[in-house]
Amino acid sequence: MANPYLVVEHLTKVYERGQVLALRDLSFAVEKGEFLVVIGLSGSGKSTLLRCINRLIEPTRGRIWLDGVDLTRLSQARMRRVRRRIGMIFQQFNLVDRSTAIGNVLTGRLGYLPGWRALLGWFPKEDREKALANLERVGLRDKAYVRVDQLSGGQRQRVGIARALMQEPEILLADEPVSALDPATSHSIMQYLEQMNRQDGATVIASLHFLSLARRYGTRIIALKDGQLVFDGLPTAIDNAKFKEIYGEDAEEVEVR
Amino acid sequence: MSGDNAAIVGSAVGDRLAVLSRRAFSFLLDWMTWGYVAYCVMYLLNHYWYTVHVDWWGTLTLPSWGWSVVVLATLELAVWSRSLGRSLGQRAIGVALQDAAGGRITAGRRLVRILLWHVSVPLFAAGFWRGGDPWHDRVAGMGLRPVSPDPERPGRRALATQWGIVALFLGVLTLWVGWLIIGINFQILARRAAQTGRIWGEMLRPDFRYFTTPDPVFSLRALSYSILDLAVVTVFMALTATILGSVIAFPLSFVGARNVMGFSPSGWAAYGIVRGFFNVFRSIETIIWGSIFAVWVGYGTTLAGILALTVHTIAALGKLYSEQVEGVSPGPLEAVWAAGGSRVQVVRHAVIPQVLPSFWAFTLYRWDINVRMSTVIALVGGGGIGDMLFYYKNQGDWPKVGAVVIVIVAIVWAMDYISGRLRERIA
Ligand SMILES: Nc1ncnc2c1ncn2[C@@H]1O[C@H](COP(=O)(O)OP(=O)(O)O)[C@@H](O)[C@H]1O
Ligand SMILES: [Mg+2]
Repeated sequence: MANPYLVVEHLTKVYERGQVLALRDLSFAVEKGEFLVVIGLSGSGKSTLLRCINRLIEPTRGRIWLDGVDLTRLSQARMRRVRRRIGMIFQQFNLVDRSTAIGNVLTGRLGYLPGWRALLGWFPKEDREKALANLERVGLRDKAYVRVDQLSGGQRQRVGIARALMQEPEILLADEPVSALDPATSHSIMQYLEQMNRQDGATVIASLHFLSLARRYGTRIIALKDGQLVFDGLPTAIDNAKFKEIYGEDAEEVEVR
Repeated sequence: MSGDNAAIVGSAVGDRLAVLSRRAFSFLLDWMTWGYVAYCVMYLLNHYWYTVHVDWWGTLTLPSWGWSVVVLATLELAVWSRSLGRSLGQRAIGVALQDAAGGRITAGRRLVRILLWHVSVPLFAAGFWRGGDPWHDRVAGMGLRPVSPDPERPGRRALATQWGIVALFLGVLTLWVGWLIIGINFQILARRAAQTGRIWGEMLRPDFRYFTTPDPVFSLRALSYSILDLAVVTVFMALTATILGSVIAFPLSFVGARNVMGFSPSGWAAYGIVRGFFNVFRSIETIIWGSIFAVWVGYGTTLAGILALTVHTIAALGKLYSEQVEGVSPGPLEAVWAAGGSRVQVVRHAVIPQVLPSFWAFTLYRWDINVRMSTVIALVGGGGIGDMLFYYKNQGDWPKVGAVVIVIVAIVWAMDYISGRLRERIA
């Protein structure tokens, strides 16, 4: 029997500053091609979990296996090579505001550039063409040379997606990719993620605020509460009782259309 | 585990060091404040009681062992203000000392805590390294805990008022003591006005004879230059120093930025060294550097001036640059790490694009300073047009002084104009 693609075992994260126990002994597995949605209240540990997977945050305890490799044991240099295969999309987009859209998209290729080239900012011609193609794909070909601080929130997140596409990622980590956007824009962004999942075969792990979005796009949902795994299953399996358990007694479900 | 990208995530050692250094610095500030107050009070006592009535008050001047008493006493005051402050006032900023069992903290136990502090801090570095509460807190059975703001108590406002009172007190004290120390005498200003008037009159009839022709008086010093020659030299001194200084400060400034260096021990060391260099070299003024280099490479040489300007520029710009680097938004850095970028790539593609505009602005600002400085660095043997100015002044050749001053004004004005235009472009 083949091992699952991504395995998280007993993952625990303690932030020394403030002595916060952000993740408590999480274990779950993700198969290749899944669209896993992580839900939970803010502060439940979603961002911490995603950042532990690509080790932007060092886990305190536990293992993370990707394709049979224990990521927690890798040296920083080897980890950097693994990160090239892991795309990431952020709630606040994390773009360099003063740079152009294409400048931002190209940074997705940095992991592949030799040091001196990256230092000079000389990206090969193929990379530039690829960047334009990816901007085309997210419908921003005409904004390629516009500074990103001139773009709307939805457009910025699409630049973020194009940046992740540059990595041709096997896994895409999306940390609340639509929390800063309005409902209509949210759906268009989520559809790009769905496309990357279905067409490009990327395994997607996305944290989302709204259960309705999670149900609509996820093939599986896990829920965190105070850093603990309180649900792991199909979207349809979340009933009213489960919902109240995850979000608290007083919560009401809100639809995002 | 403090790794490559520790800059974003922080680490245990780094966090503790940060807390420790924050506490150490705020303590040092308290100590210095008490020391300053003690000095001022002693000065006033000496002034009013010792110099006015020369009698037994004379004993107020400190005996040789007195200084160690003062140092210890101010240290003690700082400790008490810290510890009492913790106990009494810190609810205003959201923390307060609380009993482990939730009981009342009596004055006696506060005293115990303050006394234990003297053992705990020097011996165990306050126990911060072990995490949790410092030793003196633990033994005294209490600890600093976050508290929810209490609506009954005056909060930040009261704190602001306290700070205001302290600032007012220190300000008045400083003016009082400063007035006595400096001994300002306005009468002289009026009495000498007439004499100076003649000089002004001569300077207003400037003598431009040697604007382009070298002035033969300098041939005595085996030198030969005209005002214009030295004007050009001065401009180039300022430009060279600015360019050289900013080029050297640029790479150093990233080493002097906490968020780039991260929290690994080696990162801390490099950061500390570079920041220390900036702070020490910056606090030695350009003029002082000028006199050092004048001795080193030759009095009155342009090289001495350039070196002085450059060294100070490196330190001053380095500090300004570093602070900009520390202020960048961390998001883009995180994105480059996530895409598999290295530290150098993070700097190149996430930090530099964010800081470059302000780097330019600071460089231009420094250029302005260097232009002004280069006109007077000759005072200490740094060469340039100031050489001529001070020579003529010493000769009492006021019409020539007038000419040189006019040229200096023209240089400064022209450079200001150019850098101002460049600044507009950048903004
Ligand atoms: N750098 C940090 N230092 C200390 N505590 C943190 C840090 N980042 C997050 N936390 C804490 O960890 C918990 C989980 O945070 P996070 O992962 O950001 O949750 P979410 O993304 O679900 O909102 C929260 O209690 C938060 O306050
Ligand atoms: Mg989050």
